Amino acid sequence: MNSYEHTFITKQDLQEDQAKTLVNKYKDIISKNSGKVIKTEEWGLRNLSHIIKNNKKGFYFHIKLEGVGKTVKELEKAEIIDEMLIRYLTVRVEKHDLDENFFEKRGF
Amino acid sequence: MKKRRNFSKKRKDSKYSKLNLFQKPDTKFFKPCPLSGKNAPIINYKNIKLLKKYISESGKILPSRITSVSLKKQKELSTSIKRARLLALL
Repeated sequence: MNSYEHTFITKQDLQEDQAKTLVNKYKDIISKNSGKVIKTEEWGLRNLSHIIKNNKKGFYFHIKLEGVGKTVKELEKAEIIDEMLIRYLTVRVEKHDLDENFFEKRGF
Repeated sequence: MKKRRNFSKKRKDSKYSKLNLFQKPDTKFFKPCPLSGKNAPIINYKNIKLLKKYISESGKILPSRITSVSLKKQKELSTSIKRARLLALL
């Protein structure tokens, strides 16, 4: 089992109900493919430093997970065809640090 | 002879006395790496505050000969800056 950090950015016009279903959808994909979700963080609406696909702002979601290579592969496969997402990034880490949160959640 | 002695004494007074535009300094100006050591901050692609110190105004990565970051840490720094750029944080 490896530990990964996964971040994805969604479009600006996202309702709160939509956000919950979106996160739960990806959590299910992780748990179905022999993975385990450890922690999820919401960084809230942030200004993008440069324009991506005609978007200036975006909601950030951060998931800390454990799993194998197949878990990440299936997760990214589902995300690449999702129209609500702007961008995603998966990073493999040696150990999760659960104490520090660099982005405190801002109000909507 | 006396004059020469005086000259050498003056040099020893401070390491900056010899520093001139056309002369190389005797002592090297060694600055320790700010990112390695005991209480050094952890380099991470989420730690934007730290990463912003090591990029120029136009967003380029600063060379280590200016910031005096060690080779190992400079490699970590450059990968984490590139990750932050991908997520549009920097």
